[in-house]
Amino acid sequence: MKKIFFVLSMISLLTLSTHAQEKLKTKTGEITFEASVPSFEEVKATNENVSAILNSETGEFAALALVKGFRFKVALMEEHFNENYMESSTYPKAVFKGIIQNFDSSSVTNSPTELVINGSVTMHGETKELSTAVKLWKEGSTIVLSTSFVMKPGDFNIKIPAVVSNKIAEEVTVDAQFSLTK
Amino acid sequence: MKKKSILVIVIGIVVLAVIGYNYLYQDHREISSEKPMAELSSESISEIFKNDAANDLLNATVSVKGVISEIDESTLTLDGKVTCSFADIPSDYRVGDSINVKGRCIGYDDLFEIVKLDQCSIQN
Repeated sequence: MKKIFFVLSMISLLTLSTHAQEKLKTKTGEITFEASVPSFEEVKATNENVSAILNSETGEFAALALVKGFRFKVALMEEHFNENYMESSTYPKAVFKGIIQNFDSSSVTNSPTELVINGSVTMHGETKELSTAVKLWKEGSTIVLSTSFVMKPGDFNIKIPAVVSNKIAEEVTVDAQFSLTK
Repeated sequence: MKKKSILVIVIGIVVLAVIGYNYLYQDHREISSEKPMAELSSESISEIFKNDAANDLLNATVSVKGVISEIDESTLTLDGKVTCSFADIPSDYRVGDSINVKGRCIGYDDLFEIVKLDQCSIQN
């Protein structure tokens, strides 16, 4: 009898601990930003190697993009982005940390549900609060998180020189998508 | 005489335009044809980043030796320490294979505690 009780408690302990460790992650999340102005050269870059972790118990979410991983169509634009604007040798990372409000992994279904994530973005040595809508859905055993929001270079102390300021939009549209798996 | 100077000016403008165009639309670096600045093991490159001594490696082409610990759609991970992303992932490799990868070092990822390389190619 004691033995059975022991085995049962071990099983419940084991299931409990695996349950608490539910972290969904990816190393190949995608972030695209665009700051194009009509009739000028497209200002757009994509990073396909963004890391992200979602704690499916608490809804905590963190994403990390290496700034040098953003690829532009025009090589010179990429160089200026790294050297003059983002100063990626000094500030190599862009990090988001936040919590998805009212997150419940069991309510994520095959059709997108919209929730709100609150957190902060740190890059170029500055931190700024960010609250935005996220869409979550399931694709098999993966949870996909997708979002789109607007950021301003000025908020992160990124100065755009007057010569090019009419070619770069003041509001930068950011699209991100993460396919999170165990 | 007048014709000649107009011709010189036109040629000058064309030359400047070509130089300007080539400057503005210069090609991307071709990592696969660059000579690696350093040849490292997955262990040593990860140590360099953990000690925050990697400024020279950022944006540099490096080659890294290691054993594949994870394969995903577009990346190979070596010894759980270095993640290499490929445009086209070579299909004939498995977890446990020992390889030498050349790529551009883009930095250290604190979330997974890995060094990331992009535009990788396999060297053997």
